[in-house]
Amino acid sequence: MEIVSRVHARNLVEWAKDKPEVLVLSADLTSSTEIDLFRDTYPDRFFSMGIAEQNMLSFAGGLAREGYYPFIHTFAVFIYRRAYDQISMSISYPNLPVRMFGFLPGITTPGGATHQAIEDIAVMRALPNMTILECGDATEVETVLDAAHSVNGPVYIRMLRGEIPRLFDRSEPMQLGRSRTLSIGSDITVVSSGICTEEAMRAVQVLEKQGVSVQHMHVSTLKPFDDPEIIEAIARSKHGVITMENHTVIGGLGSIIAEKIAEEGLGCKLRRMGLKDTYAHGASKGYLMREYGIDAMALISEVEHAVGQRFGITEADLAATYIAPVHSMAKPEAL
Amino acid sequence: MEYLEKVKYLEDKARELRRHIITMIHEAQSGHPGGSLSAADFVAVLYFDALRIRPSEPKWNERDRVILSKGHTCPVIYAALAMKGFYDLSEIHTLRKMGSILQGHPDMKKVPGLDMTSGSLGQGLSAGAGMAFGAKYDGLDSKVYVILGDGELQEGQVWEAAMTAAKYKLDNLIAFVDDNNLQVDGNTCEIMPVHPIADKFLAFGWEVYSIDGHNIGEILKVLEDVKHASGKPKCIIANTVKGKGVSYMENACDWHGACPDACQYTTAMEELGGA
Repeated sequence: MEIVSRVHARNLVEWAKDKPEVLVLSADLTSSTEIDLFRDTYPDRFFSMGIAEQNMLSFAGGLAREGYYPFIHTFAVFIYRRAYDQISMSISYPNLPVRMFGFLPGITTPGGATHQAIEDIAVMRALPNMTILECGDATEVETVLDAAHSVNGPVYIRMLRGEIPRLFDRSEPMQLGRSRTLSIGSDITVVSSGICTEEAMRAVQVLEKQGVSVQHMHVSTLKPFDDPEIIEAIARSKHGVITMENHTVIGGLGSIIAEKIAEEGLGCKLRRMGLKDTYAHGASKGYLMREYGIDAMALISEVEHAVGQRFGITEADLAATYIAPVHSMAKPEAL
Repeated sequence: MEYLEKVKYLEDKARELRRHIITMIHEAQSGHPGGSLSAADFVAVLYFDALRIRPSEPKWNERDRVILSKGHTCPVIYAALAMKGFYDLSEIHTLRKMGSILQGHPDMKKVPGLDMTSGSLGQGLSAGAGMAFGAKYDGLDSKVYVILGDGELQEGQVWEAAMTAAKYKLDNLIAFVDDNNLQVDGNTCEIMPVHPIADKFLAFGWEVYSIDGHNIGEILKVLEDVKHASGKPKCIIANTVKGKGVSYMENACDWHGACPDACQYTTAMEELGGA
């Protein structure tokens, strides 16, 4: 698997080259959100708004009202926690096309609770007109720009930075409202998002060797959530659904799936993996994913409970798994 | 129009605005008369003299923009837009009613001629700065007027916006502070002192003008004075009387968000020279 670095930095510059209507706003976290190259390349389209997020969000509303596409960049917590009223009233209610790039989703930072966006999907999902996207790999970081740009209203994006794996082939961009089928199976359906998908892919490979038939779906559009393929996958599953997300289990992917199961009358067992209604502490991403039960081993354990069987899979088995970038829609059986 | 004739014309428009405000709030039995009345003279001069707008083309790109940041006083803007012909005057009787374009606080998606949604205090100056920047960036010479309450200045976001407007030299942004000294709970000087307002905006790098907000001549003059390109955003602090024009509402904090009963309505309309 390829690991790529500072994907957004280069990609945004290239993507925005012929889009003069795209303006980038920063709240004193320019290199931290990988827009330093944009700043240096298009200084006229870069706005340093200072440590003043409430103003930044309403200012963006004003720019959007004038026909521009403001791209807000800061840590996710400072978008939705600090400026929720501004997002709601200056952007969402007037349905203005502001793009909010929220960095450090969930436990992707050692910074601790102040910087960990663990409930952003829950609160942003409640806003009418809001679209919510989440990136799971380098290809999605690159192609989320097109997906977001096709929306004629506000978009909130859970964004990744730094070293990012490429799980999905470049030829298969993120598609608004469409999940990715990463493996086909009928024993259990696993629905994962964001950084959890890489972990789930590892677990699924090992589980399949043990004879468990797993339907693995990766979600990047959290709202609106109306992909019929997910409903069909849940309906087919023998042992219900497991959701896996880098977010509290309240209000995020797990809740979304719960709502769908109830609305569609599927009546199956749902296991929600994520932060169990708790703030997290600061540590490395790998450590925290294990600590809070959203890594591959944790998924294997959930699957074992779901199917009522133990496989004796070890960390060593997982470490040996190799994940190649996949053409997910073209050949999901490759996993 | 001769100057004196113009002043008289605008005074009449302000009085008509006030009558519509009282009628709208009386009919809706809900709304905010105090701050609508204190802003009426300024709004009259804006809409009936200063603004470059086209009622037949509400989204005309070269128009001047207006944001009523103190959105609860929307009856004054709703009445002005109706009198200008952005929509039929009969609409004003639908304020706060089911299906009306005239929501309790302004919704730009519903009201022709309304430039920004507002109602949650403190956001309008930021949005105005964004619009002023956007207009400048587009090469337009449009002005963006943002109407704020003095109590609203307690919101920290206003000062974030004040910094931003100075940084980007938004001399096409004009903040109008309706300084009527009252907020819901009482006098601003007791609830949370915001004065001296002029010193604060000066310190933030703005040009500041202080006027009598009920003197049409002073408003006309200041709106000429703020047109020059100085590289600085402008703030007009208007000394006003909350409830201006209706004797029992003047300087009475209780009339911030109360509505007149039938008897009070008759008195108010008589005082404002209408039926």
